[in-house]
Amino acid sequence: MSEPSPTTETTESESTDTNDPTSTRTAATASMSGTSTTTGESEEELREEWTDYQFAGETHVAAENLDVHYGDDHALKDISIDIPSESVTALIGPSGCGKSTFLRCINRMNDRIRAAEVDGSVEVDGVEIYQDGVDLVELRKRVGMVFQQPNPFPKSIRDNVSYGPRKHGDIRTGLIDRLLGRGESDAELELVERALKRAALYDEVSDRLGDNALGLSGGQQQRLCIARALATDPDVLLMDEPASALDPIATSKIEDLITDLSEEYTVVIVTHNMQQAARISDQTAVFLTGGHLVEYDDTDKIFENPESQRVEDYISGRFG
Amino acid sequence: MSTITSRNSLVNGGTNRYEFVAGATIALSALLFALGMTALFEFVTLTDPIAGVPTVSVLGGLLVLIGIGVIGLGVSSSLELIETTPDRSAGLVAGVVFGGLWFGIGGIVAAGILGLGGAGWILPALLLGGGAFAVTTFTREDIGSTVPAGVLAILAGGVFLTGVLGPGWSYSPGSFPSDNAVTFFPSVIVPGSVLFCSLLVGWASAKAYAGFGARGRHLGAHVLIYLNALGIIAVLFGLVGFVVIKGAPTAFTEVAIGPGVGPEVSVLGLSFSLPVSWPFLMNGASVFVRVDGILPAVVGTVWLVVGAVLFAVPIAVGAAVFLAEYADEGRFTSVVEVATNGLWSTPSIVFGLFGASFLIPRFGGSKSLIAGMLTLGFMLLPLVLITSREAMLAVPDEYRDASAALGVSKWQTIRSVVLPAALPGVVTGIILGVGRIAGETAPILVTMAGGTLPAGGETVDVIGGFEFIATPPFVTNEALLQASSALPYQLYALITAGLGGPQFEDAPFTALEFAWANAFVLLTVVLSFYAIGITTRYYFRRKLNR
Repeated sequence: MSEPSPTTETTESESTDTNDPTSTRTAATASMSGTSTTTGESEEELREEWTDYQFAGETHVAAENLDVHYGDDHALKDISIDIPSESVTALIGPSGCGKSTFLRCINRMNDRIRAAEVDGSVEVDGVEIYQDGVDLVELRKRVGMVFQQPNPFPKSIRDNVSYGPRKHGDIRTGLIDRLLGRGESDAELELVERALKRAALYDEVSDRLGDNALGLSGGQQQRLCIARALATDPDVLLMDEPASALDPIATSKIEDLITDLSEEYTVVIVTHNMQQAARISDQTAVFLTGGHLVEYDDTDKIFENPESQRVEDYISGRFG
Repeated sequence: MSTITSRNSLVNGGTNRYEFVAGATIALSALLFALGMTALFEFVTLTDPIAGVPTVSVLGGLLVLIGIGVIGLGVSSSLELIETTPDRSAGLVAGVVFGGLWFGIGGIVAAGILGLGGAGWILPALLLGGGAFAVTTFTREDIGSTVPAGVLAILAGGVFLTGVLGPGWSYSPGSFPSDNAVTFFPSVIVPGSVLFCSLLVGWASAKAYAGFGARGRHLGAHVLIYLNALGIIAVLFGLVGFVVIKGAPTAFTEVAIGPGVGPEVSVLGLSFSLPVSWPFLMNGASVFVRVDGILPAVVGTVWLVVGAVLFAVPIAVGAAVFLAEYADEGRFTSVVEVATNGLWSTPSIVFGLFGASFLIPRFGGSKSLIAGMLTLGFMLLPLVLITSREAMLAVPDEYRDASAALGVSKWQTIRSVVLPAALPGVVTGIILGVGRIAGETAPILVTMAGGTLPAGGETVDVIGGFEFIATPPFVTNEALLQASSALPYQLYALITAGLGGPQFEDAPFTALEFAWANAFVLLTVVLSFYAIGITTRYYFRRKLNR
């Protein structure tokens, strides 16, 4: 998987759309300077109230003043966002705006990138995860992740799903355990079945759990990856463009699945597909060039009546 | 607007006589190539008749035939009797090749047959070479690529047919000092020139078949590559077949199968006779057995390889895990890479001397099995390290990300995801390495080898050699500290002892036959290790993919 591109510079190099009247109007009133923008994107100041989203439920994940640098590159700038529990939160925005980086802050996958430096605070269940002594195993058990490319291990379907719990010692299937009569192959099978059913894959693979997962189709592989993430019993599910490598039918299955999952799990999904965000998410956060969170609100509000002109331009396809 | 590209018809017509002749020439060339191969490896002798005609005449006749055929193709294309699309020239590369070829022929003929001394050969050589170059380069492609090849084939065939170069002929280039003159005999020259001419004519007639031009070059290259691949496979099979033919009859001397015919063995206190008697593999060499055998050497080689693999593979794979997963790419890893590559290309006798001067003093002061195992283990280390590291680096990062996102630690990820995915590559390294060390003679010579022809009683018994004692290190193994024989060493010892006459009292074979059988068994043992490795790799690959 490619790491989130650390460049936030002008990546799209299409000719400037000088015919766009909104572009010239907002440029004239722009008060903020120093932000390099995607071509066609106007400049505009950021307002705190645009990201100040009020919701009824509990906060599950909360970021405050989060900054991420990749070396000299300032990838995320002062992000503060509260994500409500048991809902779908979509993160949208053009390439290189920091959506994936933000997602990877929630389960500390950025620790795996040497150059990445995270400042600020992220709380999961009210506990600060960027403090000393945080157990990464426990954090990642609670915050599962699904990647853009389906990445099942070259193992059997069953082994893929039970991989996490086995490695964490939650299910004992080792030789010694089996010899001592503590083997839990029944428990393993039950867990595999439950996770696969939860990921709406069980009916398609129930008769070939021992087959290699690489023999599944792309959409099945992605649902298997979701099942694998669900097997460790997480509360939060992070999805980094989970359907972008899939065909429309597989995509719609994944979308239905996400809607189902949001009844039990807090789903945070990065997507490039704005229709997808509009279809499945409860609230939407728009990241724009420079690593800023520009607007965060109910999905309907964002798509029908955004406060920010830049967000409106982005959603209506004027840039990005 | 003028155009520089030409247009030919999109679809070329069906088979006609021209294509039939071209196809037949290609087929004859391939046949000649195969005949040349068999003659080179002496599966047929040149004086033997094929259907009543001496082989050398058959080869000569066929060469003339394909030579005439290919020239006919070129000429009929050049007279535009058939529709072809030749380029203006066969090209500089073909010109240089044909020019050089005819230059050499001119020189050899002038110096060897016409007897022009001194620098007298240069003029005819230059004339012929220049002529061939000119014909190839400055005429149209259809003439340029067929005529020089065809004339060459006709010339060679004519020489064989007329008996100028008969079985009794030999050629010693005068430029070598007379006391170590280089002499070429027809048994090499005839098959060699047949192979060469059939390659050239095959290429030219393939070009003709496709009507020259771009399609012709494509087909010509195709035929050349296929014949070349055929040649390589033929060399491989020829080599193996040669050893098998020479060695197998002796190796299978007096093999008997039936209940109770074999030697008595005892397993777990139970004594019974093996149902197979294979004297050559089950006896040592001594005056007490009728059929002398090579049991000690076989057992020595097998233990040697097993010991080296057991010693080297865990260390090498561990080092590869460190280099691929933990160490940062940088100066350190590149230094290690250079060092391992260098170690792999270090001559084996250097490893042998290291073993002799470093290991032997630490293991009892005399040549021993364990010194040989460790020396060969050191030789095996670098290759397994290099290939394992490459295999681990080739495991996609997606697997590592997925595992990390599930909260699985790095070491567990390596153990359960990275290593299984890299295993086929690791096994490949082991296969290649074992293939090298199993046949090594030099390191064994100085670290391990005992007597030339050990008796059956000197067979190392590694498993039975383990003894448990009450004081540290609690286990000893006398067998590991014994000198032992090994197949390649024994072959070497036989050759240095001289293969002249029958050295074995009342044995049914001579020393030379014994040595060939030894070589056959060595080849079989090495190939069996290969087979085991390839099966293992296949198993792991299957597990990864389905």
